[in-house]
Amino acid sequence: MALNHKRINQLLQRLRSHPYRIYPVETPHTGYLRKILVTEEQEVSAGEGLLVLERERNLKTLRARVGGRVRHLRKDLLGRFLEAGEKVLEIWHPLSQEEAVAEVLRETLVVVRAPETARYLLAPEVETRLLKEKRPLVRPGEELLIMTFMKRETPLRHEGPPMVIFKLFFSPHQVVPAGEPLLGLCLPEEVPYLERVMARIQEEWPES
Amino acid sequence: MKHRVLIANRGEIALRIMDACEDLGLEYVAVYTRADEESLHVQRARQKYRISDYRDPNEILAVADEAGCTAIHPGYGFLAEDFRFARRVVKRSSPLIFIGPRWEVIRDLGSKLHVKRLARELEIPVVPGTSEPLYNEIEAEARAEALFAWLSENGEEDPRLLIKAAAGGGGMGIEEVRELDEVRPVFRRVRAYAKRLFGDEGVVIEARLRRFQHLEVQLLGTPKGELVHFGTRNCTIQSPGRQKRIELAPGFDPRFKNYTFDAQALEEEIISHSLKLAEAVEYDSVGTWEWLVTPEGKAYLLEVNTRIQVENEVTARIARIRGKEVNLLREQIRVALGEGLGYVQKDITFEGTALELRLVAEDTERGFRPLSGVIERFTFSEAPWLTVRTHVPRDRSYHIPTEYDPNLALAIIWGRDTQEVLARAREFLGSVVIQGRTARGDPLVTNVPYLQEKLAEVYEFRS
Repeated sequence: MALNHKRINQLLQRLRSHPYRIYPVETPHTGYLRKILVTEEQEVSAGEGLLVLERERNLKTLRARVGGRVRHLRKDLLGRFLEAGEKVLEIWHPLSQEEAVAEVLRETLVVVRAPETARYLLAPEVETRLLKEKRPLVRPGEELLIMTFMKRETPLRHEGPPMVIFKLFFSPHQVVPAGEPLLGLCLPEEVPYLERVMARIQEEWPES
Repeated sequence: MKHRVLIANRGEIALRIMDACEDLGLEYVAVYTRADEESLHVQRARQKYRISDYRDPNEILAVADEAGCTAIHPGYGFLAEDFRFARRVVKRSSPLIFIGPRWEVIRDLGSKLHVKRLARELEIPVVPGTSEPLYNEIEAEARAEALFAWLSENGEEDPRLLIKAAAGGGGMGIEEVRELDEVRPVFRRVRAYAKRLFGDEGVVIEARLRRFQHLEVQLLGTPKGELVHFGTRNCTIQSPGRQKRIELAPGFDPRFKNYTFDAQALEEEIISHSLKLAEAVEYDSVGTWEWLVTPEGKAYLLEVNTRIQVENEVTARIARIRGKEVNLLREQIRVALGEGLGYVQKDITFEGTALELRLVAEDTERGFRPLSGVIERFTFSEAPWLTVRTHVPRDRSYHIPTEYDPNLALAIIWGRDTQEVLARAREFLGSVVIQGRTARGDPLVTNVPYLQEKLAEVYEFRS
């Protein structure tokens, strides 16, 4: 196993020095920014209203996907017609124990990344086995994922030795940007070691 | 009133609409998505808005209002054949002009089954098959059995059927069956696909014509009741996924190919049938009537496309109105804004042969797999007989977005006859350089070698 406790320490140290994930809040579509419901540095919870956008006479409240602190709020945009994808604020979200584990696993496991910006689904067989078994074994050439783009579905197969699916990094049916992790794999004999690593992080990372 | 047109589309068609607007002295506004930021249609537009999705009517209408537009051009694809969108554009509290047919016409001709029923009423031949959407696999199997029997009785040695999504289009959601036993599983698959993609589970079954040519009739009508045609084009060369790759105008060329039937008479017949149906629905914009023609000279109406098509320019390239060149987009916009044609059928003449090549980033050796990646170099030799329509910049690299089809360019080539147009097409393809790399870092391949090979098959019947 390439990973050792020294490397884990380095990763944890890095996470502790910046224990946040920054979520930009962008307009999902065009419209007038009618209201800003938060202030700079305000703590918000997941689901809390942030902004009100009006398009075609319909008002839509944009809500926080995650809890955290509001930063870099663009008050100057209030009342203006905004294009899609305009960044209005950031939420600095403190990493939970589970998220810290995911961050470490992302750099520890053999990661299957999205080859294209596309919609991804689990292969039906893998999906069924993930429901039945906690960490199914996949063999070389086995269909792992289905990538959907340009009106075509392309299977992504497992390359390399038999491995275990240890972690799912995406939500099926959603568009994943190229290069983002989809699955985290490891050798079957590495599972106990990784479980110890997870236990260690859970022990050392404060509960949120 | 000075009109301002919202161009609700992307890529090469957005650029062609810009040309037509400039030609008519009209202002225009473009929209684009984040994935298209490098496209030439975004670079060229002076006024533009980033939207989330070209398919979202709310985005298009919000931008149209904000930018003070008076008309919307939908281009092709996306919202072009969505009658609900067309209806909303003209029925809202601040109505706009929809550059396309009336919404009722889009609704009625958008349904393949309705077109079939209408065609039968008008004694226009259609491909034998179901005329109602099927939802039940037992009924589907019974209909399929009857169609297999009909094909066998009509001398077909290897009868096959097509099972299609009733609401499909663009070659999507179509599967072929050869045995009755295959019908039920394929029906279930197509039905699930139809539900997923089109939101309607309806499925149709048709006899599969083994050998045919795919012809199109280009029509133009106006709200004032005028109606003309711009002849035919031949779109037989298609990828295995039924995506058109080479188109020619005119649809038949008896000087180039020997037909077992009177090609001129058949062309006149399918034009006449197309005009008959267009008159019956009071067709009032540009539109395409698609036909399948067998080697024996039987023609069957396939469907109607109530929009401008990708390949409209191949028709325009050989057409003349009182000796002058034609721009069908310009004509479409003019009539939508209330102008009359200003000419009649006898003013329209045809000159030479035109051919269109669709350059696509696809791996023709591996199931025509669409490719994304970066184009680092795109060059070709200019010529007076050549028009290239592309949204891909030639002075810098370009990322092919994965959100859309990997179409790179359309090359429209004119020649005095088919031999000359083929020679020029070979010359053009020989000069094309498209270099780049895929997202995986492999050299980017395109369909240029496939197009070179397929030039030998123009005007042939496809099997």
